[in-house]
Amino acid sequence: MKPVLLIAINFAREQRWPILTLLLWVLLLAFLGLVTDIHRQREDLLFVFKQDAVYVLAFSVFFGGSAIYNERRSRRILGVLSKAVGRQQYLSGLVLGVTLACAVYCFALGLTGSWTLGSTGFPISHVWFLMVCLVAACMLAGTVALMFSTFLNPFFAAGATAMVLGLPALAGQFVGPQWGYVIPVWELGATVVNSSFSNPGTASWFPVALAGVETLAFWLLSARIFSYVDIAVAVE
Amino acid sequence: MRFVLEFDNVTKEYHSFVSKRRLRALDGFSLTVEAGEIFGFLGPNGAGKSTAIHLAMGFMRPTSGSGRLLGERFGHPGTRRRVGFLAESVALYHRRAERLVRFYGALNGMGGTDLEHRARQVLEIVGLQDHANRNAGKFSRGMLQRVGLAQAMVNDPELLILDEPTSALDPLARVMVRELLLGARNAGKTVFLSSHLLSEVELVCDRVAVLHRGRLARLARTSDLLQVGEQTEIVVRAIPAKHFDGAVARDGIVSFSVPSHTQRAALEKVWNLGGEVVSVNPLRRSLEEIFLEVTADPKSAASKGVQ
Repeated sequence: MKPVLLIAINFAREQRWPILTLLLWVLLLAFLGLVTDIHRQREDLLFVFKQDAVYVLAFSVFFGGSAIYNERRSRRILGVLSKAVGRQQYLSGLVLGVTLACAVYCFALGLTGSWTLGSTGFPISHVWFLMVCLVAACMLAGTVALMFSTFLNPFFAAGATAMVLGLPALAGQFVGPQWGYVIPVWELGATVVNSSFSNPGTASWFPVALAGVETLAFWLLSARIFSYVDIAVAVE
Repeated sequence: MRFVLEFDNVTKEYHSFVSKRRLRALDGFSLTVEAGEIFGFLGPNGAGKSTAIHLAMGFMRPTSGSGRLLGERFGHPGTRRRVGFLAESVALYHRRAERLVRFYGALNGMGGTDLEHRARQVLEIVGLQDHANRNAGKFSRGMLQRVGLAQAMVNDPELLILDEPTSALDPLARVMVRELLLGARNAGKTVFLSSHLLSEVELVCDRVAVLHRGRLARLARTSDLLQVGEQTEIVVRAIPAKHFDGAVARDGIVSFSVPSHTQRAALEKVWNLGGEVVSVNPLRRSLEEIFLEVTADPKSAASKGVQ
């Protein structure tokens, strides 16, 4: 477990600049909360809050899709895997790292959302439920991207991830709502995006649990694929 | 005799994803490295040295054949706890040197004050104690290579696998590495050293293998490899060169070689002529000469076989 934690913390540390850049959006929300009349502008604040939530989902795909590629291109992966670290542990570290990076952002967004939205009538407990949904969605999206990044470059990995996450969402729209739960990233994202002051939404834990189970499944698949990959081969 | 590294008829082919072209980097490669020796692994660029090392470390899988590292099949993570590895191109995270070494030590299961102490110790060994708190991202290539060596040694490994460890080092640092390798051998550890610096290899390695086009072209004890049959080189002064066949004179020093069993007669002849013997040594070739011979003509090298 110790190597997994070390790799995860190291990954989050390596991503500190993208995370700090992302946090600027949260600062924007906080700034709007400070300078505007939050009771009159609460719909605008909720819009910014949702926008910030969508950004972190996109970033989770970016984090997951580029993690292995960057490590292989820089050859830093050799230093890590030359130690007593199995490839499964390495992938676990990256999944945890992606989740940790997104969780830091979601925590900041949750704090700011609790202050700005909470003081204008949005249930604070629901703000944190939405953040849990967001972290679960990021974890699953990042793991799917990571799986593709074991054998594709980041551009194709991101495209393939968008397909895998988007197709169930489309099927959920046009075939039947149950299809949206096949890979519940869209459902979890929709929970955040569809919430409003008049109808914050119900706290259903099913998609969160499903995301956890599917993360495990995609991690297992990633580990299987990654065990066959020649990591010392140049990626260009 | 205990083998710490074994390659058994290993072949590695690289496939192109788009075209169906295959590149055979290793071709039926077999080799054993004994415990407690410094083993030199030589070969021209593209010979397959790094491929062999990467297979041993479990970074890739052989196309056919197998191998064992410290008694376990290649790729066994637990075994790597007992191995120190330095890659050809050192790539490290941008952290303070001491923290970096501690990070790699922690990945090997080390921790607490032992790790702190060991990290400081290995940084001192590689001469970076004054730079322990500097960001490795701002280090020169030579300094990075030293940090790389420090992280390879942090777990006090039984086997050190070093791929070009001195390529970016200045002469002083090379001496340091040489002493470090000899010290490791004296402590009972094994060193597997891949290098293009043949003079270094000649000085420290007990055995040498030359790899050429994915095949083992030569394997021998360094001393046996460098000795030229039963010839002795005699260096004398104060006599003319004309008295000995093939003698070369330079600045009053005459050198020639004779079959070892006739060296006594040759020395008596020198003394009878009033000459002075400067040195008598078994005739040796340099590793560079052998390397060039083996790698210049693959057919002739293959025909000489593995010793």
